[in-house]
Amino acid sequence: MFNKDNNEMSYKEAETIIGPSIKVKGNFHGQGNIIIEGVVEGSIKTSNFLLIGNKAKVTANVEAKEAKIGGEIHGNIKVDGYLEVAATAKIFGDIEANKLSIEKNAILNGNCRMSKGGEITTEKK
Amino acid sequence: MHVYIYDLYVTQPKFSNTITRVETRITDLGLNGKIIRLGVMSSLYDSIENELNKGAKTIIAVGNNSLLNQVINSVARLTALNSVNKNIPIGFIPIGKKDNEIADHLGITLNEEACDILSARRVQKLDLGLINNYYFLTQATITTEGTTVEIDKNYSIEILEKGEVGIVNLPINVEMPENIKSNAKDGVLELFIKTRNAKKFLPISTGKPNQSVFSFQKLKIINSKYPVIIDNSINIPTPVNITIAKEKINLIVGKNRSF
Repeated sequence: MFNKDNNEMSYKEAETIIGPSIKVKGNFHGQGNIIIEGVVEGSIKTSNFLLIGNKAKVTANVEAKEAKIGGEIHGNIKVDGYLEVAATAKIFGDIEANKLSIEKNAILNGNCRMSKGGEITTEKK
Repeated sequence: MHVYIYDLYVTQPKFSNTITRVETRITDLGLNGKIIRLGVMSSLYDSIENELNKGAKTIIAVGNNSLLNQVINSVARLTALNSVNKNIPIGFIPIGKKDNEIADHLGITLNEEACDILSARRVQKLDLGLINNYYFLTQATITTEGTTVEIDKNYSIEILEKGEVGIVNLPINVEMPENIKSNAKDGVLELFIKTRNAKKFLPISTGKPNQSVFSFQKLKIINSKYPVIIDNSINIPTPVNITIAKEKINLIVGKNRSF
């Protein structure tokens, strides 16, 4: 899904798709699955799945139930469940998730916090 | 009682044979009713209101996209005023191929064959979009050139490439992404933006178009140059506010409908 030369991002059912030629400014809050391949400035929140494509540029705090990140994000990411960070991802901000995978070559500049059942499982520094 | 509303153009001589065949088929099926022939000065709204007050049970548009839209508007407005039966069904007999794309998506065949669909009476309750004070069944479209879109006042959308914007209730000739389910029974409208590689809302396009889809409650479109076109037939100047209408319509459709 996150092949460098493959721009096809798909999910079986999406409520919102922000294409590559679209720039969204403001607070973007939804209930369903969201696919972002364009530019978003503001904040993103969904109670479902969020897919940020490898050419997407997001300057926003992000909240979702589950997420896959392939693009560039300037902002904090909070995911209730599983967060998958692809090799193409560039994250400049803190991330918080219950389950996490980070692919080789991904860029992460920020703090990482894991939580499970409301308890933080990583060591506090 | 059935009330048949004939569009002005169907009285042209080139449609006389078609209309004769339609009327014969209506008689054969026992669907006879009153015929209202629209003139240049006649008010469709007043005619429908009169007939409904007299006890009409079905209103049937005999014409094209534009007449169907006007009939839907009149019935929806009367429904909103609570002055008529809310469940009044609308039938449609499309005459001629020109400007009759909506019929195909409703599963209604052209000319006299539509009478059989009328007879089968498959009634579907469908959502309507509301653009300013005007209702639409299928979609509203506008070019992206100079268009600003504001959704629910929470965020705005800037479109960086040329293309078309569509507000979709019942998709007609719109190639929606596979993972987006849109139909006139889901209670929401979709904002659909297609740019670059895409051809104008054609079902077949070359290359992979850049598509964006948003669900919304309220939307505002501003464009100082171009109007919004609804149901492929009527121009509405901007700025426009678009929302899903509270009113629904009962439409008699065919079994080969697209939803």
